[in-house]
Amino acid sequence: MARVGKKQKKTKKPVLWIVLILVAVIQIFPLVWLIDFSLASSNEMFTNGLLIIPEKIRWDNYAKAFVDGNFLLYLKNSVLINVLAVVLVVVVSIMAAFACHRMKWKLSGLVSMLLAMGLMIPIHATLLPNYKIYSMLGLTDTIWALLIPYVAFSLPQALFLMTSFMSSIPVELEEAAVMDGCGIYRIIFQIITPMLKSSIATVAIMTFLNNWNEFMMASTYLSSPKWKTLPFSVLEFTGEYSSNYAVQFAVMALTAAPAVIVYIILNKHITKGVAMGAVKG
Amino acid sequence: MKKKIVSIMLAVAMVATMAAGCGSKESSSDGGASEDGKVTLKVFSNLPDRKNGQGLVEQTIIDEYMKENPDVDIKVEALDEEAYKTKFKAYSMEGMPDVVSIWGQPAFLDEVVDAGVLAELNQDDYADYTFVEGSLNGYTYDGKLYGLPRNTDVAVFYYNQKMFEENGWEVPETYDDLLALAGKINDAGVTPVAMDGGDGWPMAVYLSDLLYKVAGDGYADIISNAIETGDFSAPELEEATQLLKDAVDAGLFQNGYDSQDYGTAQNLFTNGQAAMYYMGSWDASMALNEDIPEDIRTNIRVFTMPVVKDGKGTATDIAAWNGGGYAVSANSEVKDEAIKFLNYMYQPDKLSKYGWENGVGMSAQDQTDYMTGEETELQMQIVDLVNNSTSLSGTPINDCGPSAFKTSIESEIQSVSNGTTSIEDFLSTIGASCK
Amino acid sequence: MKKLYSNKLVILSLVLPGLLLFLFAILAPICLSVYYGFTDYSGMGTYNMIGFENYKTLLHDATFRIALRNSLYLAIGFVFIQHPLALITAAVLDKLGGRGENFFRCVYFIPNVISVAVIAYLWKFIYNPDFGLLNNLIKMFGGKGDINWFDSNTAIWAVLIVLIWHGFGWGMLIYYTGIKNIDPVLYEAAAIDGANQKTIFLRITLPLMKPVIQVNVTMAVISALKQMETVYLLTNGGPGNSTQFTANYLYQQAFKAFKYGYGNAIGVVFIIICLIATVVLNKIFEDRDEKAIKKLEKARRKGAVA
Repeated sequence: MARVGKKQKKTKKPVLWIVLILVAVIQIFPLVWLIDFSLASSNEMFTNGLLIIPEKIRWDNYAKAFVDGNFLLYLKNSVLINVLAVVLVVVVSIMAAFACHRMKWKLSGLVSMLLAMGLMIPIHATLLPNYKIYSMLGLTDTIWALLIPYVAFSLPQALFLMTSFMSSIPVELEEAAVMDGCGIYRIIFQIITPMLKSSIATVAIMTFLNNWNEFMMASTYLSSPKWKTLPFSVLEFTGEYSSNYAVQFAVMALTAAPAVIVYIILNKHITKGVAMGAVKG
Repeated sequence: MKKKIVSIMLAVAMVATMAAGCGSKESSSDGGASEDGKVTLKVFSNLPDRKNGQGLVEQTIIDEYMKENPDVDIKVEALDEEAYKTKFKAYSMEGMPDVVSIWGQPAFLDEVVDAGVLAELNQDDYADYTFVEGSLNGYTYDGKLYGLPRNTDVAVFYYNQKMFEENGWEVPETYDDLLALAGKINDAGVTPVAMDGGDGWPMAVYLSDLLYKVAGDGYADIISNAIETGDFSAPELEEATQLLKDAVDAGLFQNGYDSQDYGTAQNLFTNGQAAMYYMGSWDASMALNEDIPEDIRTNIRVFTMPVVKDGKGTATDIAAWNGGGYAVSANSEVKDEAIKFLNYMYQPDKLSKYGWENGVGMSAQDQTDYMTGEETELQMQIVDLVNNSTSLSGTPINDCGPSAFKTSIESEIQSVSNGTTSIEDFLSTIGASCK
Repeated sequence: MKKLYSNKLVILSLVLPGLLLFLFAILAPICLSVYYGFTDYSGMGTYNMIGFENYKTLLHDATFRIALRNSLYLAIGFVFIQHPLALITAAVLDKLGGRGENFFRCVYFIPNVISVAVIAYLWKFIYNPDFGLLNNLIKMFGGKGDINWFDSNTAIWAVLIVLIWHGFGWGMLIYYTGIKNIDPVLYEAAAIDGANQKTIFLRITLPLMKPVIQVNVTMAVISALKQMETVYLLTNGGPGNSTQFTANYLYQQAFKAFKYGYGNAIGVVFIIICLIATVVLNKIFEDRDEKAIKKLEKARRKGAVA
């Protein structure tokens, strides 16, 4: 393999590179374009060139975006809501996976099927009735209006993953623990959970990716800035600065930045997580 | 046994945290008087740009009010028009913020007033508020007043005077002139008219404008008949739609007008990419917007829809109405405070005066006292348009029927203008939505 | 052990949070939707039960048909454009090796982590006929560059391109992982047989990837049905209703046209369609799975023999 493979690699490499670079350009150029014009002034937009060198680099576009876009507040909300959602999804899915697939009871099949339903139900079909329910219960404009659907709709996938990972943990371990007098909760949280590290990471990443950029629910259920999430920076800004494109571009770049930066730093883990999640799920 | 207790406790704790979470949030997020005696007023506004034009005026008044009433805290939620209207409807299902922007038009108010969502105002309170005659009509149902108008809106073509002069273009006298002009402007490599066609309503206003020129004073009857019966086959409606289509065919609007939003259309004009821009008079504040290059903003002028061939409407019969305004939520916990704030806004030296100073066109109140002689030329032009008019059209067609009709016409008008559907299909589809 | 593992109370405490979430966030809204679907509720005030009237209207609703057609287009776009491209790119990337491989993998995935809000607004600018990136690109190559990308005949394709572009990295990554999981022994055997890259791809990679492809295709079809956010921000269904999607349409009907009951009826049908689609796809692939396993075994044997 080594010999033949290498030979082939050598001859094909330039072609491979060209294809890959072309795809990379298609995927990334729009973002380069975005950043380029976010540093220019608004009327420089109206050129025929692809990229421009701004007459003067306008960092103040970003200053405006940062302050008037409520960037820090919305970022904080996004982080908080997503972290809470991830924690809840992980805890609830481990508990349910254990109960449904390790413990013995009649309805376990039915319950695990019910919990998996969320995978098939389009989340947006619940927008209308949920709006009624939440306003009846006074939950609109609170963090719960986002947390509940985020967790509920991330749960089925998490459950799948947890179940499949859990089934690879040998039962003997638990038997030993039971001998030692451990209760179910200690078994779950002290013995099983630490062994699920990689699947917890996967669930966390999938949940994050699913919910981080969600805004349809957020824009329907929220009204005050108190819990608004990052996409609102963009949505509100386009109205506020409708006559200033450059600042709009700056706010878009700024909004995209946290996720992109985190992704680049954690690239390997995220790739692994997504891959695992997709293959097992 | 021990385990059982733990399990029960855990389950209870889970439920309790959720319930407690809901409970505590409820008490803190509810409006009204809080512990420190401060009253919170929630204002829901369709003016997201708080630094220019009408939004600036609104924000200025809010700031002043809070200064004068330190125990009142006003929280503004502002969305742009389309998003605002959608969210407003969601709110009207489940409880409104205290003070809201509204439009005094059937499409917007009929259902809302029927459902009792808006608070009734005491008509006598406003005797001294110098409202222009007839401007309260759109807000009155069965003799009861539910809101107050903010502007007198006129549909106009803004044009770049400098560009017109340099190219020897002239303000068109007739619709045919306008379409001929479109050809000339296109030849010069400029977009004739920037149109916010992605939103649907500006084109519906354009259609109404044409209909008024075609039908003259028959305008209101034709529309109300059609909406009542669902039969839109009146020849005037057909002709007006045809004229709209002619404009598209003549290349009057920018390429892709039917998918471009408000901001894009305005920016085409304010960046010199388009020679004209069709919009309401509220955008006259462009003349004072520092974000717009000076040689453009100082050269903006207006004209109204030119007369059409054999039309009954004359040049001075203009498309104008009392559109946007404010109302108070019927279920507001701080209704009195909300009405107090509403009345404060409408003191003649507030909305009307500041609006005038910020060049946002005409208010629905008498503004003559606030003329300073330093108005922009654009502002004076619009005042003259209204003062010299022989008649005003009233509500545009899309706002005359129920919401379902409005939704339908604002989307179908895109299809008919770009030729995807025929005029007959267009008229019958929007008719069907009235039933 | 047995006793401990069948303690009803413990079990209840473990599944209760999940069940509550399911009841509250999924089952309750569905029941409410079914209920309101039978009413002429505008969203406020009083309403009447009108039986299947909403569903009858829906049968003749041209816009609803367009929405379903668009979902179909999108599914086709995903399956026949995005996925082949992603699969080929993944196969090419697999051959690269070294730092470059990681770099490209990272770059391809970036659009995926960016908010739909940013993506939609960005593409609005890219598509702008007057100063957008695409037309400027065409101008650079000497074209006229005055294409109206959102013309009502082509708008749906413009929307599809954005969605295909946005989701490309995800599909690529999953295929890439699948390819990495293929036993290198198979490639060795093929290489010794003198097969070229193309044959290897068609004869080994593709058949062995079948299970991954099936999962991916199922997900793609479902996500095509569920599409809402990008369209909501990019075109909101326009011009006309040419880019309408089901979720967006039900939202418009409820919150714009004050037809809350009708919106819910659409929601109910929407849920049913999604359920049917999932079940049908699973059924189709279930039968094929068995064949795929047989093929896989065959390939293994072939590899071993060679």
